Amino acid sequence: MKMNVVITGVGGQGNIFASLVISQYAMNKKLNVLGAETIGAAQRGGSVVSHIRISEGTIYSPLISRGQADLLIGMEYVEMLRHIRLLNPQGTYLLNAMRIPTVLNNMGLDEYPSAEEILQGARKYCPRGYVIEASALAKKLGNIQMTNVVMLGALVKIMPFFNYEEVKSLVKDNSPERFKEANVRGFEEGYKLIAHS
Amino acid sequence: MTEKRYVMGDTAIARGALEAGVRVVAGYPGTPATEIVEECVGFPGVHVEWANNEKVAFELCTGASLCHVRAMPVMKHNGTNFVADFLMHVNFTGIRGGLVLISADDPGGLSSQNEEDTRILVHQYAHLPIFDPCSAQEAKAMVKEAFDLSEKAELVFCLRPVTRVCHARGIIEFEDLPKDLPAAHYEPDRQRFIMSAVEIPKFGGLKRPQIRHRWLNEKQVLLQEIMEESSYNWIEKGEGKVGLVGCGIGYTLVKEAEQYMDRKLPLLKLGTLPLPREKMRAFVKGLEKVVIFEETEPFVEGLFKKIFQEEKVGVEVLGRSGFVPADGELNLQVVLESIQKAVTAIKVSQPEVPSLNVHIPIRTRTQCVGCNYRGILNALKQTVRKYKGIVAGDIGCHDAGSFSPLELQSTIYCMGSSIPMGSGMVVAGINQPVFAFIGDSTFYHNGILGLVNAASNKINVNVILGENTVTAMTGFQPHPGTGVTLAGEKTAAVNVTKLAESLGISYRVVNPYDIKECRQALEAAVKEEGPSLIVSSMPCYLLSTRRGKKVFEPREVQVDPERCNGCMICINDFGCPAISFHKPEKKVSIDPMICVGCALCVEVCQRGAIS
Repeated sequence: MKMNVVITGVGGQGNIFASLVISQYAMNKKLNVLGAETIGAAQRGGSVVSHIRISEGTIYSPLISRGQADLLIGMEYVEMLRHIRLLNPQGTYLLNAMRIPTVLNNMGLDEYPSAEEILQGARKYCPRGYVIEASALAKKLGNIQMTNVVMLGALVKIMPFFNYEEVKSLVKDNSPERFKEANVRGFEEGYKLIAHS
Repeated sequence: MTEKRYVMGDTAIARGALEAGVRVVAGYPGTPATEIVEECVGFPGVHVEWANNEKVAFELCTGASLCHVRAMPVMKHNGTNFVADFLMHVNFTGIRGGLVLISADDPGGLSSQNEEDTRILVHQYAHLPIFDPCSAQEAKAMVKEAFDLSEKAELVFCLRPVTRVCHARGIIEFEDLPKDLPAAHYEPDRQRFIMSAVEIPKFGGLKRPQIRHRWLNEKQVLLQEIMEESSYNWIEKGEGKVGLVGCGIGYTLVKEAEQYMDRKLPLLKLGTLPLPREKMRAFVKGLEKVVIFEETEPFVEGLFKKIFQEEKVGVEVLGRSGFVPADGELNLQVVLESIQKAVTAIKVSQPEVPSLNVHIPIRTRTQCVGCNYRGILNALKQTVRKYKGIVAGDIGCHDAGSFSPLELQSTIYCMGSSIPMGSGMVVAGINQPVFAFIGDSTFYHNGILGLVNAASNKINVNVILGENTVTAMTGFQPHPGTGVTLAGEKTAAVNVTKLAESLGISYRVVNPYDIKECRQALEAAVKEEGPSLIVSSMPCYLLSTRRGKKVFEPREVQVDPERCNGCMICINDFGCPAISFHKPEKKVSIDPMICVGCALCVEVCQRGAIS
């Protein structure tokens, strides 16, 4: 058993929570886990990426290198593309259909690619991908900060490695008291977002 | 009883120190070291604090050490620079209770103003020993052992983890914490702890600094013996005449690279300074060249060359003086390419991936949506434009005001340099108003000294203190203006206005969510002679929100496309990520998915198009 997961997004989207849930799940399965995070200055609206390496054997570097990720989770369009070269083209990606323009995009000095261009590029790179409206659903459920748990719900549906009930209880355990109920709800709704597995 | 937990390298380091019986932990927040201090909180008998700067933290820990208590000052590389003066004294005096300095380096400057290698300052300059961990697990073992060795050698030991150790996560074994830590006691020893140019009769009147220098030099023999025996250095056999040397995280990357190589090359794993000479000699027997992978300077490479010259070893030494890139963070790609270059016959197989023909915009960080800094920065931008002012900047969340689109601060160097640099511009005779923008944590770090200097020398600099009552950038650590200790106890908060009064300078307190009020205060400051202080005071939005407190009443904000003429003021002078410009229509719009309703932009728009 070997699985490399990359989570990409913009600072504040909740990468680290998702990464902790996945890592703890693997640890509970008695597997080795190594991870790496972007923390600090890059947090403030910058580009963030988490690496999670899961294996039965020894893992050396916490960083996943080119073409080695089995799963790429994109919390935002261009942030997924920025790291797509880490993904094995035979792997899987899960993308949140969310567009967060950059400062230069806002100024009209740089182009943010169209959703069509992005999806085409991603499909061409890797045929197995899922694109979901996780942020829109999270906002509908009351808090856009729940995007990460919606994504985790969808992830469980597309990756047989993950067990629904076990991940759900990890989501619950890792959530602060006042968000427990809402996060579990977000997770359940995220699971339903994917029509087939 | 041991327990396995999945934790960050920083947590592993903290745990190692606690298991070693550390009693005093002090630091100043700095990525990637911050969490080490935080993870030490909550253990009985352990004093943990955020000091207002690294020098204070180090000096406090040394005081504890002289009372035979184990202590750990924690900082990032910039902090260690700040400690240099003290470091160049404590190396001569030595210590009593184990004292382990954590100096975290940030290769590539992932979250720093610079990239540098603290091994040079601590080892080359101060002649102190260093452990350079290759993983979180090793970092934990090293910090534990460093406390024992520090007491054995009577010297400060340094652990130098890099970002990929601090912020890596792994499965770490937690062992029991010691009970019954020894009590503190102090015996004067003025021969050691009075660092002064005094004549020593025993040494024929030589001055104490020279004698203490001699003491430190003599300690190197013991350190050499310790490192020769160290379990953090080892040799792995391989084929061929080219050997690889992996120092700290460099070793980890070489091991990763091995998975892509068609043969195993001889490998020397290094984790200590001083270097183990015997092991080095044994390793290079039969080799023609060695390639050294280390973060970040060619430091071990230089030591290899020196040692090989002394011992007349004819082996070519390659590394980060150019053979391996001399700047930036090491990664698998760099390591593989360097190995390929050194051993042309080797076959390296790495998966090819398709190219992607989509333009990917660069994303620079900015203030959070809803951050109060955006209000004061907008007011300052307008004032600077009107009076042709110059802004000297500092470290903190507000530094993003220097990036596009605001491009406001003209200088940013290190902690606290804004006010002195701004003062320098004034005394140079520049005929423009000069502003210095500094956050409150940076102000208490040492920025306050610049203000005292400006006040006592009557320098006409306009200081803006962004008082968000927390060290926000590194994750909301309290500082002397917060009124809470790291342990969560209430304490006195520095009263800045009383400070200004005692300095005899004018001051104005403004609400950064009121741009008009900010502008009026800034203009008044420009018009008056002498130093002035503007305190832009409002708690950090992000932290307040997380705690369920409101710093403004959120409201829905929209752009009226009829009124918007595409002037771009709300973008170029304000830079909120929620507002974007649409070229075809020449209008802006606000993304409701991103907007948090602070409504500052309503005031920014000159045409009343945002409401």
